Amino acid sequence: MSEPLPSEMTVIDDAERRGRTDLWPFWRRVYAQGDPLPRFAPPAGRPAHRFDEGDPLPDEYRSLLLKMLRHEGERAGNKSFLGFMATCLDLAEAICPDATSRLVKAEYLAEELKHAIMFHRLAVGLERDFALKDVPYAHYAFHLPRETWADDAFFHFFVDLNGAFHARDWRESSYVPLAKMSATVERDELGHSEMGYYFLQRICEDRRGRALAQHLLGKWYPAALDMFGRSDSSNAPKFIGWGLKSVGNAEIRNAYKTYVDAKLVALGLDVPDERANRRFL
Amino acid sequence: MSDIVEEIRQAYGRVGIALDRPATYGTYYRLLCAGCGKMVGNVGDRLLPDMAAALVERQFDLYATGLLGCGCGHQRQVTRGLDAPRWEAAQRRQGGTS
Repeated sequence: MSEPLPSEMTVIDDAERRGRTDLWPFWRRVYAQGDPLPRFAPPAGRPAHRFDEGDPLPDEYRSLLLKMLRHEGERAGNKSFLGFMATCLDLAEAICPDATSRLVKAEYLAEELKHAIMFHRLAVGLERDFALKDVPYAHYAFHLPRETWADDAFFHFFVDLNGAFHARDWRESSYVPLAKMSATVERDELGHSEMGYYFLQRICEDRRGRALAQHLLGKWYPAALDMFGRSDSSNAPKFIGWGLKSVGNAEIRNAYKTYVDAKLVALGLDVPDERANRRFL
Repeated sequence: MSDIVEEIRQAYGRVGIALDRPATYGTYYRLLCAGCGKMVGNVGDRLLPDMAAALVERQFDLYATGLLGCGCGHQRQVTRGLDAPRWEAAQRRQGGTS
């Protein structure tokens, strides 16, 4: 009698399991020490919306959900996302410090491509045209020059962590398909941030590396804080009201800042003035 | 070519780094050493106005001391020609050699 064929997810789970090393995935050690991220409680008395795939969606809800997913970007049908992934490999080939780091970077890419499958499924279930829409990343943080491995490490430490914080918030999302995948995305993105942090730790081990990191922090820190948008965003209350977010931009930015500041101090770096070089306060 | 891309090209050109042709659907560009042609990084085309020049300007010391730029030393040479007193001061601050 032949053995039953493994499911799609079993194959992916098996591939991930076989990819584990002392380092990868970076989220493992962090979560083993407890929940690393703050909890975002929805405001008391918020209407309890809940929509699943195929449910008719109110126009405003659909519009806000699509706006959120456009920003997220990790979709197989989004050729700009795939292009961005290609630049990561291109950069690693040119400037990564050693073969091990390059392989770790490839593990990161594999995991992001897993997200591209997950978000593709979600997008197809929501709106087929959107699933195929090309949406280049709009925020400048995705476009900052990366001229050294330290730049790349800061990118992952800060930008992937932004993704982890948003995914944490999605645990409470009123859109059921998003809530279902939030824990996996959060865990992976936190791991990507930890990958960046691991490289920063190595870079900061010597005086010149720490000087480089301190200088480049002035480029990445304001961009990281700017990624959460304006504190007085007129859309934030709508997102919260529909259950697509639990907290406003200022609150999630403050929680993020508390988290990253502690990690930067642990690296021996001086935390920049939070208002210096900011574009979206 | 967009105004932002032209801004990026001019900002990097000043320190001896050339902007390559657009890669990956036109959103990202490789940065190449203008001395030897080696890839030294990449950049996207959605920087905000005036951002590229400010970023490159703030990185002057890093190019001057070799913490950024190509291993061939082209950006160190170019920045020395741009502003020798500032270049010398950067060496002293970073403990580099001139």
